[in-house]
Amino acid sequence: MSGTARIGVDVGGTFTDFVLHDPARKLVATGKRLTTPDDPSEAIIAGTMRLLEETGLTTADLHSIVHGTTLVTNTIIERTGATVGLLTTAGFRDVIEIGRETRYDLYDLYLEAPPTLVPRHRRLEIPERIDVHGTTLLPLDEDAVRAAVTRLVTEEKIEALAIAFMHAYHDDRHEVRAGAIVAEMYPDLPLSLSSRVAPEIREFERTSTACANAYVQPLMRRYLDKLEADLAALGFVGRLHVMLSGGGIAAVRDAKEFPIRLIESGPAAGAMAASFLARLTGENHVVSFDMGGTTAKMCLVEDAAPDRKFDFEAGRVRRFQKGSGLPLKVTVVDMIEIGAGGGSIARVDAASGLMKVGPRSAGAKPGPICYGRGGTEPTVTDGDLVLGRLDPKYFLGGEMALDPNAVQRAIENGIAKGLKVERDMAALGIRRIVDETMAAATRMHLAEKGRDPRRYTLIAFGGAGPVHSYDLARLLKMKRMLVPLGAGVASALGFLVAPPATDLVRSHVGRLERMDWAHVNGLLAQMAEEGRQLLLETGADPASITTLPAADMRHVGQGFEIPVKLPSMSLNEADLPAIRESFFASYAERFGRALTELPIEALSWRVACLAPGRDIQLAEVANTVTESFTDAAKAARGVREALFEGIGWLPCQVYDRYALAPGARFQGPALVEERESTCVIGPDAQVSVDRFRNLVVELP
Amino acid sequence: MDAFDPITLEVYWSRLISIADEAATGLLRTAFSTIVRESNDFATVLMDAKGDSISENTGGIASFSCILPKTTKHFLKRFPIETWQPGDCVITNDPFLATGHLPDFTAVSPIFHKGKIVGFAGSIAHSPDVGGALWSADCRELFEEGIRIPPSRLFRAGQRNEDLVELLSANVRIPGPVMGDLEAQVVANEVAVRRLAEFLEDTGLDDLQALSDALQIRADQAMRRAIAEVPDGTYRATIEADGFDEQVTRIVCAVTVSGETMHIDFAGTSPQIDRGINCVLNYTHAYSVYPVKCALDPFTPRNEGSYQAITVAAPEGSILNPRFPAPCSARQLTGHLLAGAIYKALADVLPDKVLAECGGAPTMRALFSGMDQNGDRFSQVLFASGGMGASPHRDGLPTTAFPTNVGAGSIEAYESVAPLLVWRKQLRPDSGGAGRFRGGLGQEAEIEVRTPAAVRLSLLSDRRDHPAEGLLGGGPGAPAVIAIDDGTRPHPKSRTSVETGRRVTLLYPGGGGFGDPKQRDPEAVRADIRDGYITEEAAMRDYGVKA
Repeated sequence: MSGTARIGVDVGGTFTDFVLHDPARKLVATGKRLTTPDDPSEAIIAGTMRLLEETGLTTADLHSIVHGTTLVTNTIIERTGATVGLLTTAGFRDVIEIGRETRYDLYDLYLEAPPTLVPRHRRLEIPERIDVHGTTLLPLDEDAVRAAVTRLVTEEKIEALAIAFMHAYHDDRHEVRAGAIVAEMYPDLPLSLSSRVAPEIREFERTSTACANAYVQPLMRRYLDKLEADLAALGFVGRLHVMLSGGGIAAVRDAKEFPIRLIESGPAAGAMAASFLARLTGENHVVSFDMGGTTAKMCLVEDAAPDRKFDFEAGRVRRFQKGSGLPLKVTVVDMIEIGAGGGSIARVDAASGLMKVGPRSAGAKPGPICYGRGGTEPTVTDGDLVLGRLDPKYFLGGEMALDPNAVQRAIENGIAKGLKVERDMAALGIRRIVDETMAAATRMHLAEKGRDPRRYTLIAFGGAGPVHSYDLARLLKMKRMLVPLGAGVASALGFLVAPPATDLVRSHVGRLERMDWAHVNGLLAQMAEEGRQLLLETGADPASITTLPAADMRHVGQGFEIPVKLPSMSLNEADLPAIRESFFASYAERFGRALTELPIEALSWRVACLAPGRDIQLAEVANTVTESFTDAAKAARGVREALFEGIGWLPCQVYDRYALAPGARFQGPALVEERESTCVIGPDAQVSVDRFRNLVVELP
Repeated sequence: MDAFDPITLEVYWSRLISIADEAATGLLRTAFSTIVRESNDFATVLMDAKGDSISENTGGIASFSCILPKTTKHFLKRFPIETWQPGDCVITNDPFLATGHLPDFTAVSPIFHKGKIVGFAGSIAHSPDVGGALWSADCRELFEEGIRIPPSRLFRAGQRNEDLVELLSANVRIPGPVMGDLEAQVVANEVAVRRLAEFLEDTGLDDLQALSDALQIRADQAMRRAIAEVPDGTYRATIEADGFDEQVTRIVCAVTVSGETMHIDFAGTSPQIDRGINCVLNYTHAYSVYPVKCALDPFTPRNEGSYQAITVAAPEGSILNPRFPAPCSARQLTGHLLAGAIYKALADVLPDKVLAECGGAPTMRALFSGMDQNGDRFSQVLFASGGMGASPHRDGLPTTAFPTNVGAGSIEAYESVAPLLVWRKQLRPDSGGAGRFRGGLGQEAEIEVRTPAAVRLSLLSDRRDHPAEGLLGGGPGAPAVIAIDDGTRPHPKSRTSVETGRRVTLLYPGGGGFGDPKQRDPEAVRADIRDGYITEEAAMRDYGVKA
């Protein structure tokens, strides 16, 4: 393959974003097109052609295209997926409807349960039963499988089928056989076996994941087939990759079989970009902070890798309410997402007489009042405007003129009067409340992992991120924050730096001291081989692939597992002390103590396969800049007053971000403006521009 | 109250709630007690120096948060405030001082700032064991139900009280997990103590009193405004439940609304009984104010002020205010009924703010215990709930408990820790009460014993003879049925032996319906038939709709 250029494509709900990087030609270019929801490949093809045109490259110069998409997550949120049928063990067809039986809000008498992806009349029962040890108690009724599938296809017109039998994570014989019968009868019917999609103990989560996979499979297959064909028609001979929710890239075949693994494909890119910045700058303890119009996302990045977890909740009835969605067993970047963004709406709560901000958002339409597109309720961005943080004349690089008068009236009438406070206090209040909400969520997220935010550096991006990062860092008592150039581009870089990676899991439950190690080693080897094959399909160098074994463990009698690293891929009795130590260390890190007397059990075994990712020279990314200065004074473009809590209005030096060269230094208070965002810097902070053109802000 | 502007108050309040939540997180995730985990049977609360609550965790048992400050005030009587030192932790499981039965431990630690006590951090969690008669409502006196620890220092200035630890360990079946969970409570308190100290540093406040007062006033005013919107008057209802053997439980309830206050009186309710279903006044109070909060002011955060406008009374010597040493281990079988009684009383005046009775009130719990094939002891509760009552807004949720909040564990996980096989766990057709809005479906489970030795089945259940009632014309849900395939019916509130190979069937009750079934949209009835939520016969009989 002679091509050297790589393209990252992020298919979002509204826009499809592109970034092209060619290390051989020292070239970086970006692009943006409206997403074409009926056929997303249309925008991808058009955008790719445009990028090639602009950079003077041809499809032959392309090494690969990596792409992420919100199609999967949107399909589940909007409930626009396939008509799915489900076969279950007799007696268990209601597993996905009964769920966890909890109320996600203790005080709302009329809460709504998330609708199932497969209604009851398309869930059919098959006589069969394998017990927890793998003993067949009831053989598979093959005729029942035939009859059920025939009925689902002919009467219910299903477009995809999921099969989830009890204990199939441990013994998949019946699922595999039933699958074979179905494949013989209806070879084109997309099929999701729970033992393939999510081979983990706990029937609700496993069945739910298999159903969700089936629900998005026909759509994703059509889409990926079409994209491959369209690219081939253009003469593209490079590799097409997809971004998985865990931040690794994979081959398209994997995505067609397990499309559910793409559920957090888009957000993962942002975390990978932050990880990349962390590696470049040598920051080993990072919290990435991405604040956009509707949400803020925080993620722990340690040793240049994002923290990951193995479950996710999709399609929530109440977007930010844990427990109100469908549980999925997939590896995702472990992010907290809360309803705090530039569009979050401020209001006075009638019951308590206090101010609340979010989670309701004005979104992009109508948007904040200051956009002048019909918004009438004051938002976080409106508050920032009143506080002097945003320049009404230089919003989106001057493309959009903001209207401060309407905003001031709305904050006066809508908030200040109701609270009986001054208008400036009300605006400051919006900022204080939204920042405190984000700080609380971050503290909680870190506390759950036994981490202390004071030791971390904040990396801020997203349109509203740099506007709020200084205050967030202060609330979290962080000493340093880092703001990359180009809030919009930063996230898309994640596609180009993500490593080929895959995560596999198999459940096998037992106490450590009674574990059948030969069986465990067999599972680890099987997963390593499967993972290796998947990575080879992405073009990874076989010699560079590493495997990382881990297990989910807990004390016997507990209900939550913690991930524990294993000493090797081949374990035996002699490894017990090391495994126990590893468990105690993880436990103590999270919970501040270790219970060394009590027995330990493992539930699931994991192998992460990883090949090295690629580096990008950030200087190349910044090569769109024309002229810049190491003397910050030359990048100054005036003074604007901004209101700081506990201090009052301060004249702030305003800097043109693009004119600040590596080595530039200055002192707050300051406002650093770039096209997509403004970085607010308080009076007690020192700023320098590093060689990658990041703003490095040191707080006292 | 003017000491804090409404913005600062919002910022501080949120922060105090998140401190309580952070304390709760570790407690939940490390718990050995399946009741804590699956049933959320725990709470963390921050209190001021008087023992009044300032904030509580979001996800715990609402009733616990309401009781913890009362217990703290008992602690302060026993240990005057000047005797507390940093690093102390006082515990009790006395039902009459705390949450109404022995398995719940309350642990309270002082918070010091600038050399003086500014508040307390408290937690409650259901212990894996407290000795005594495990899981039964048939004890005659409290003393049979387990060990009772009066308010005692588990930690004194950071030093663990080993005498107390040994005493407790010697009286429980599984000392490791019991002590593990108690220590998790201490750790949770320490988290709150640390975070509150940071909070005071950050804000520059000398103590919590002025803030606590301001927050309580906000919560109190919100509730008063909500009550003021309810027309004045006295609203009455009576409900019945199975009780114990021939002694039916009768709850008589009068809700009097007068201006911005509410009084709930249970005069006329059944007398206390010499079985473990008595409900101490703390618990009666907590399960009376919680449903009112849900109905009238669901979204204002809670603290001591939330319930100032509501008074609750039950005659001394009644099943809702028993005298010591009444047995009370299964007090939830009575306490969970109160929401249904109060909503029934309020249904005529507030029809759009209430629910019909729930099949999951009280919870139905089945505990299997014994020896497995390897000779190891096992003891596993099957967590499952009946259906929720319907409301004028929607059908009741299937298999969801109210007023408590019970989770359901995985059957695969259940089968991996107990020699039991669950042959089915599925929705129970026709179990939701008929109505314009249908009651939530209960569920049915069938469990086979697969260990050579007989196992013990301990049941805590009700609603066998008294299904969940409907409201305003809605029909009742299906009753509870518990049967063994040898044709016997085990005692619903006691212990039974089940032989190997036998199957136990548990039918969990459905919720009551709301409004006249004839007014139900026929399309909704047909959709219910298609999904098998109701049978064609029931559709014809209850709704007059043909498939």
